[in-house]
Amino acid sequence: MSKFQRLDFYRSQTGRYHLLPFRFERVGDGEVVVTNSAGEFAYLTPGKLKALVSHTLPVTDPDYTLLRSRHFIREEDDAASLELLALKVRTRLSRLRDFTNLHLFVVTLRCDHSCHYCQVSRKTEDKAAFDMTPETASKALDFVFRSPNNAVKIEFQGGEPLLNFPLIRHIVLDAESRNLDFKKNLQFVISTTLSLATDTILEFCRDHNIHLSSSLDGPEDLHNKNRPRPGRDSHARFVEGLSRARDMVGYDSVSALMTTSPASIGRVRDIIDEYLRLGFGSIFLRHLSPYGFALKTKSFHEYNAETWLDFYREGMDYIIALNESGTRFVEHYSALVLTKMLTSNDPGFIDLMNPSGAGIAAIVFNYDGDVYASDESRMLHEMGDSSFRLGNIHKNTYEEVFTSDALLSTLEDSFTLSIPMCADCAFEPWCGADPVYHHARYGDILGRKPESEFCKRMMGTIKYLLNAMKDAQTREIFDRWVNKC
Amino acid sequence: MAGSLVLELDSHIYRLEAVQKAAYRFIDRLTVLISERDGGPIVCEIEPIAGGTTLFDILLADFKRELLDQQLRSKIKAETEPVRNLILAYAFSRSGLQQ
Repeated sequence: MSKFQRLDFYRSQTGRYHLLPFRFERVGDGEVVVTNSAGEFAYLTPGKLKALVSHTLPVTDPDYTLLRSRHFIREEDDAASLELLALKVRTRLSRLRDFTNLHLFVVTLRCDHSCHYCQVSRKTEDKAAFDMTPETASKALDFVFRSPNNAVKIEFQGGEPLLNFPLIRHIVLDAESRNLDFKKNLQFVISTTLSLATDTILEFCRDHNIHLSSSLDGPEDLHNKNRPRPGRDSHARFVEGLSRARDMVGYDSVSALMTTSPASIGRVRDIIDEYLRLGFGSIFLRHLSPYGFALKTKSFHEYNAETWLDFYREGMDYIIALNESGTRFVEHYSALVLTKMLTSNDPGFIDLMNPSGAGIAAIVFNYDGDVYASDESRMLHEMGDSSFRLGNIHKNTYEEVFTSDALLSTLEDSFTLSIPMCADCAFEPWCGADPVYHHARYGDILGRKPESEFCKRMMGTIKYLLNAMKDAQTREIFDRWVNKC
Repeated sequence: MAGSLVLELDSHIYRLEAVQKAAYRFIDRLTVLISERDGGPIVCEIEPIAGGTTLFDILLADFKRELLDQQLRSKIKAETEPVRNLILAYAFSRSGLQQ
């Protein structure tokens, strides 16, 4: 005799059920995806959706059990359904309580490269007027240690931050000294091309556990085309710097980011192969953003969301095939979205947060003491648009910066659950607000979503992932990407 | 005008909000002027936007399907509103964020 009751025992005898809140979206011919407020989802036929909403879906239907287990419906005596769903919603929003984690220090605007798509409006190497001073850095650290978040990440940005390495050293030592009292989980990152990474710099990074976030756009010809510098040797310098950095700081202490320039389109496999050749286990197929030199040189306008999606889909097909053949290789943008789709966690990626992560998940201290809601906000400022300047650390208090209208109005007005189309979109739990992008591109922080390139990119990405994971092997690969333990 | 159409929708079947939301979703492809007469139908004056590449008939068929979807969304939203508020109340209870 079985120790368990038969399935029939647990089935509703009345066939009556209540709907729980959910949204739906057509994803192809003869199929809809339904999502609940915690981001759980199921595929249905339009006929079943109609039956579900009409309360006529039979208890014996295979999708009935699935929809009940994923909190789309509940029966009269399902006491735990509401609390479980609420717990999942609370888990997804738990980052809000922690407040700002990422603190970016723009230690200089100077750069040794002159990339035509650069999203930061660079200055030439010899203008020290664009360096952050120790006094400004010290004030910024006062703000950093006011954050209620127990985990604090300080990221050094530029220009090329290594051109002002003495200040990086000063900030790291000062922060470590202050943290003896605060005892926060303190992490450091330098965003660098590695072209100026000397052994002295790398030894300091090793001794202070500093992660290096570098840039690799693909094979040598593409990388050098994208990233011109005197000597046209950016790729060679990167490879040499990568090797030394891995030897001295640690193999996993160096990561790379790529930017999809117009020259990258059509070469996604070459780019992925270059990442594999250089021993990377992941890539971020990052699209261009409408800031800085990307706009001035018209690079941004040379491809649209659909072109990028073709690039992305070809890359993902290749990456999935690599994983299927035994090479573990992760695409980070997909992994971020998949984390929202397949777990109750929010990865905390600024562009994909709601409320927007601007200011409350990340904040930027510019070289001159200006405080911005995000890296993109300070890029806009360099283009003459100071809409997201929150104040200046020499003139404004912590409270004034974080309660400024520039921040609070932006967060409130861009809340996706209040935005036309987003409020009813089934993909909203997996998406984000990104008010700075929409302001930069369309002149208002909402933008009209049917015309928004951000929306098109997200819709395309999510539909690709939804379709891909119908394959059981691909679903297993995606599960491994998002469940790291 | 060639390539334009007037669509009359029974206001007992379609909610005005659902029609407005459907029109918004097509804002990049169609211009939809909505009016409602007392007790009468909801009237949509529909034109394709200049420079569009999709055939007007195809857009209209898609728009009509979107009207049905929006009406269904409206029904789900109305039926689940109390429980949605309850879930949010549960979610934020004991979080300290509601103070």
